[in-house]
Amino acid sequence: MRGHGWKWLLCTPALIVLLLAASGPLLIVAVYSFLSPGNMGGVSWEFTLEAWFRVFFRRDIFEPDLVEWNTAHLQVFWRSIWLSLQTTFICAFLGFPTAWFIATRPRLTRTIWLFLITIPFWTNLLIRTFAIQEMIRNNGTINAVLMWTGLIDSPIQMMFTEFAVLLGMAYVFLPLMVLPLYAAMEKMDFSLVEAGYDLYASRLNVLWHVILPQVKPGFIAGSILVFIPAIGAYVTPRILGGGRTMMLGNLIALQFGQGRNWPLGAALALLMLVVVVGALIFYLRVVGRNDEVRRG
Amino acid sequence: MQKEIEITGLNKSFGQGASAFHALSGIDLSIGSGEFFTLLGPSGCGKTTLLRIIAGFEEPSTGVLKINGKEVTGLGPSKRPINTVFQSYALFPHMSVADNIGFGLKMLGKPKSEIKSTVAEMLQLVRMEAMADRLPSEISGGQQQRVALARALAPRPRVLLLDEPLSALDLKLRKEMQSELKRLQAETGITFVFVTHDQEEALTMSDRIAVMSAGEILQLGPPQEIYNAPVNRFVADFIGDTNFLILRVKEIGNGEAVLELPGGRQASARLPESISPPVGSRVTAVIRPEQAEPTAAGQGEMQAVVEAATFFGTDTHLHLLLDDAQGFVLRRQNRPDQPSPAPGTRLGLSFAPGALRVLED
Ligand SMILES: Nc1ncnc2c1ncn2[C@@H]1O[C@H](COP(=O)(O)OP(=O)(O)O)[C@@H](O)[C@H]1O
Ligand SMILES: [Mg+2]
Repeated sequence: MRGHGWKWLLCTPALIVLLLAASGPLLIVAVYSFLSPGNMGGVSWEFTLEAWFRVFFRRDIFEPDLVEWNTAHLQVFWRSIWLSLQTTFICAFLGFPTAWFIATRPRLTRTIWLFLITIPFWTNLLIRTFAIQEMIRNNGTINAVLMWTGLIDSPIQMMFTEFAVLLGMAYVFLPLMVLPLYAAMEKMDFSLVEAGYDLYASRLNVLWHVILPQVKPGFIAGSILVFIPAIGAYVTPRILGGGRTMMLGNLIALQFGQGRNWPLGAALALLMLVVVVGALIFYLRVVGRNDEVRRG
Repeated sequence: MQKEIEITGLNKSFGQGASAFHALSGIDLSIGSGEFFTLLGPSGCGKTTLLRIIAGFEEPSTGVLKINGKEVTGLGPSKRPINTVFQSYALFPHMSVADNIGFGLKMLGKPKSEIKSTVAEMLQLVRMEAMADRLPSEISGGQQQRVALARALAPRPRVLLLDEPLSALDLKLRKEMQSELKRLQAETGITFVFVTHDQEEALTMSDRIAVMSAGEILQLGPPQEIYNAPVNRFVADFIGDTNFLILRVKEIGNGEAVLELPGGRQASARLPESISPPVGSRVTAVIRPEQAEPTAAGQGEMQAVVEAATFFGTDTHLHLLLDDAQGFVLRRQNRPDQPSPAPGTRLGLSFAPGALRVLED
């Protein structure tokens, strides 16, 4: 079509930002992962596969030929994936009724509820996380109340557990699930629900056969929006999880900081990217295939 | 006739207190088993609300609703032997045509083999066999309409509710679906409660019509009665075309009024029981455009001048000016040997006894 060529120019500023802030650094990270660590951090320009080797394996300090799996790294990987999956499920489970509640309010009130949902975004993540810490630490609010009422004698250890990380992440990412779910529900034709009841469906059947298929795009978008940032979460596991429940983001940061092993950090970061993209492709494939089967 | 639906003293208001809106007031209605019953009225008069109350989507504020002799107040839509054809069709977009039609049976827990055979039967009934595996988005509006119909008929409800089911279709398709609906109703014997704002549709399809306005039923009866003997000005105006004449009462008696016509002659007209205008007062009287006939000037009950003639194919509408300057439209069937009179022609008007009726305002 004529006259459309120049409109392409409109997205060049964004493209330049993307190039400078995403593609460029990504390329640098990829290159670094094949170099040797410098003494004081940074890299020295010698090609080696050592960083990639150390992502997966570990050499014995005294007998360098003795090679074993680097279970510490693999554990962090597995924990990150597992905690992110759980976070996604918790957010979906809590987000669905929340979004449904908002979507079924009168139009004016909906705006107010949506506004309330976004309020946490206004406060710095660090501060919110410290607030959670204040609630769950050993002499924090929850334990103090429980001990005062006599329900428990000694404080329950909640800080520095996977529970603490899950709580923090579910709290932080919940709006990212609620908003796309709400968007899907708002578009939903509510006469479909009535048609379901009219055709003798129970509440559960209406939910399963009518509502869920309609809001599926919302679940897909919400899961992606929660899972991806969750797997790279840094602040929440750092503060609430401590050293024992380290996640990928913390492991990578460690390599670029105290560890002074930039190539290893770069390799870990790239591997995380591969895992995320792989998970995404797998997920969309599975979800997409269901649709095709239905069409059968 | 056995009563399928009985509604007594039904009221429905939305909201509370001073801001409450009375959507339905004092509805009394009974619908016979196997009847084709139509709710007719302008947009916003409460037709959908009444249908939703029968279906169970809304509860009446006061009043009693019985279905097949049993009171159903408090029963949800899934507990009533009633199915609805929604105005927007509300087909499940992620299910094939066949799955849509089978949904009700599946929810009723019918065995797979029975669902399969009923779905096949329904597909045949609405002539959609070839489309069984399509998604609703892959068929036309008229076809979606048929699927919605088949889906609602599949569980064999006692009553089928149809909320303006044809309003989204173009004229030709609408005519086709009108006879299709009549055929389906005759074949299945199911009671149809049909909602429309189209008076012609109501007249051609219904066994009985309830004409509604502002939440009330103004008149209830078979189409001929509604057309020939409208109870008030609203019904007469809403159903078909009508000439309204303001005439002076000369005499009253025997349920009839003698009225003075434009030009000085007199004619008697039926009086509704609800009113008794004093002699000398003015009343509204009506004559349908096809119930008057042109005659030679000077003859007939009234005299008029032709102002304009509009050609409609099968007939011509003559726009006339009566002697006292009131307008009058005359509908005359076109015949090749009778050209319509030119504007300015003087002619007389005659009408059969009973064509002129006095109306409540
Ligand atoms: N849920 C509701 N809340 C408030 N008012 C309503 C509601 N449903 C319908 N109404 C009002 O009731 C009146 C009748 O509506 P409806 O039954 O849909 O009319 P129709 O189907 O004859 O066009 C309308 O004025 C409408 O605004
Ligand atoms: Mg309506």
